[in-house]
Amino acid sequence: MAEVEYSTTAKLPVETIWDFVKEIDNWAPFVTGYQSHEKENENDSVWLLKGDVGAMTRTLKFRVHITEWAGPERVTFEMEGLNEMMEGGGVFQMLAWEDGADAEAAPAPVRHNWLQRLGLAILRFFFRLFRGRAERADSADAGPGEGMARLTFTLRMDPGGPMGPMINAMIKPAMLVAAEDLGNRIIGHLEQEGGAAASN
Amino acid sequence: MGGLPERWDLEVEVVCVGSGLGSITAALVAHDRGKKVAVLEKSPKLGGLCGYGGGEVFCPNGPHMKDIGQDDSDEAAEQYFDFLGGGYQDPALAAKLRATYREAIAWTEKEAGVKWEAVKGLDDYYYPDAPGSGTGRYLAVDIFDGATLGEWQQKTWAVSPHFPPAATHKEMYAWGGLANVTKWDYELLGQRIATDQRTFGPGMMGWFVKAAVVDRDIDAHVETPVRELVSDESGRVVGVRAERDGADFFVKAADGVILGIGGYDHNPKMATMYEEMHEWNSATQPYFHGDAIVMGGEIGADIASVPPTNLAMFYGYNIPGEEHDGVPLWRSSWECGCPHAIWVNGRGERFCDESFYKDYQPRIRQLDGRTQSHENRDVYLIIDGNYRERYPLGSFMPGMEIPEELAKKADTPRELAEKLGIPADAFEKTLERFNQFAEKGEDPDFDAGHFPWSNRLAGDPSYPNPNLGVVNKAPFYGVKLSPVGVGINSHGLRTNGDGQVVHVRGHAIPGLYAVGLSACILDLGGSYQSGTSNMRAITWGYIAGRHVAGG
Repeated sequence: MAEVEYSTTAKLPVETIWDFVKEIDNWAPFVTGYQSHEKENENDSVWLLKGDVGAMTRTLKFRVHITEWAGPERVTFEMEGLNEMMEGGGVFQMLAWEDGADAEAAPAPVRHNWLQRLGLAILRFFFRLFRGRAERADSADAGPGEGMARLTFTLRMDPGGPMGPMINAMIKPAMLVAAEDLGNRIIGHLEQEGGAAASN
Repeated sequence: MGGLPERWDLEVEVVCVGSGLGSITAALVAHDRGKKVAVLEKSPKLGGLCGYGGGEVFCPNGPHMKDIGQDDSDEAAEQYFDFLGGGYQDPALAAKLRATYREAIAWTEKEAGVKWEAVKGLDDYYYPDAPGSGTGRYLAVDIFDGATLGEWQQKTWAVSPHFPPAATHKEMYAWGGLANVTKWDYELLGQRIATDQRTFGPGMMGWFVKAAVVDRDIDAHVETPVRELVSDESGRVVGVRAERDGADFFVKAADGVILGIGGYDHNPKMATMYEEMHEWNSATQPYFHGDAIVMGGEIGADIASVPPTNLAMFYGYNIPGEEHDGVPLWRSSWECGCPHAIWVNGRGERFCDESFYKDYQPRIRQLDGRTQSHENRDVYLIIDGNYRERYPLGSFMPGMEIPEELAKKADTPRELAEKLGIPADAFEKTLERFNQFAEKGEDPDFDAGHFPWSNRLAGDPSYPNPNLGVVNKAPFYGVKLSPVGVGINSHGLRTNGDGQVVHVRGHAIPGLYAVGLSACILDLGGSYQSGTSNMRAITWGYIAGRHVAGG
């Protein structure tokens, strides 16, 4: 199973983020490789994404089932491949990131040793060279403070079948970037909207 | 063609156009003989077609054969090369190639640090029938660590969609070959992929590219297509007009320009005309547009050819939604090397040994003179429940549903024939006859499974005939196939024994060389087998690199 996590901070109230995230149509186009999605009901949707697997790009069809709408803090979902042997899921976590907030307030991160962290950073860096970077305001790296929020996106995918361990290794770089892009694009969009509203 | 530019953007002594084996070998050799070299590559990555291929180098009677306890002789090698050539080879070029390939490969090992090893038990295509044929003559590289490429790591191909990522040749065969692909050690392969350990073509080009751009710091530019050769008043090629960031980029080459930019698989007009096959599809990266022929032709280069009939073309398919570098990914179909699979044409009949592409390849072009049609152009892969319990179809492992856009599915052969639009009565007769033979592991019609090479590559060793098994268990599937090229083209620039491009009037064009598949394969002649293309790329790169540097 490949699992990645990305956290970013924003100068936004968690409620603002929640209002945006709770409506799938708002952020669907921000998903890396997004082609289309179709909502079946409030909790279920079918997605078409283009994803890199080694040297090729495949069009992947997923059913996404929201298992928990726990606004304004958390959305939990599961994914099932419809044209690939693939299962997965993830969590969006949105927390107020005020002064004095401690590590316990944040979701438990995926633990990596220093070598793994270095490897992931290198993978991300090179993947970026070719995929470009999602636009983000300076607040992406800001610490806790008044009116700050922290968004954490955890994504796991588990390719099935005998080749699963190999596919894992091939998709992980793309997953890292997908998690980062989605978080940054959502926050970047909201910050831009907030800025536009403030200037009106 | 164009006049001299007002200024050069870069001045070197040797410009190598393209970054496959031929071009990079030439760059290495010229550099080590004291020349300042630049490599200009059209695509975003270095490595060329070789970086996407199988990474086998055919080296009969080579020094590594003794490592695997295999005997060979120059006489046998000569006989086999003659057999492959079929009388279409240029005697002088063939002699130069045969006299030089071992020296060139040895140079890459000694001077460039490429780690070769012989592949034990891998037979020549035509072994044991052809005179001089043998076994254990292929070289493949040791595993290459992608991290050693530094900033070039992501500007090279780490894996190819056409070959098992991160597995070695030795492992592939030890694990039971392609037919046993569901039982390979994917934990090990996953670990290797995660740490960018490369094999096959990507591994081979990793060694070469590292030797050039890391160890020697040779100047290399990706996404820099060369558009035109620049000649002086005397007709000598003195540089190129490339394109970089949408603007002209003139590079002076005081001693010469070496074209190593492959063929024309992605130039539909050339492919149709030269390969005698319309609607040409290709498994190669989409960067081969016949630029060598266009640029050479502009200054009077002679375009030479060998018959396209028996080079390297396969049947294949595109899985809807699969792409590479923004174009549909065409896979060559190896499924018919496995048991429980046959091909039928539009008449619902078998027409070839499906396990041996050298047999079916000439039949693809077979023209019915009465109807003006290629009756075997569009054919169907037929597999059954026996097959799907054991083997994958492309990326669809046993147990996975195959999408309707790729394969028609039916409970009976008749129903499948109707879905495919082929004559049902004929199709049923074909299956009935085939199954009678397959029960006994025999194929008196087309002799499928005859060649050890076919048995080894895709056959299932647990079967009496590794390439044969009955097709009689529901559900039945039919996949429409089309001819798919792999970049081994019949036409290219005519070259001489020094790798220089020859003018239509017979003289060498000063300052211009062609290597790899940009040079017509007159040195081999009318046939091809795995590893010969890489071998000749290294050899002519070595020859041209020496010559441009003064011999």
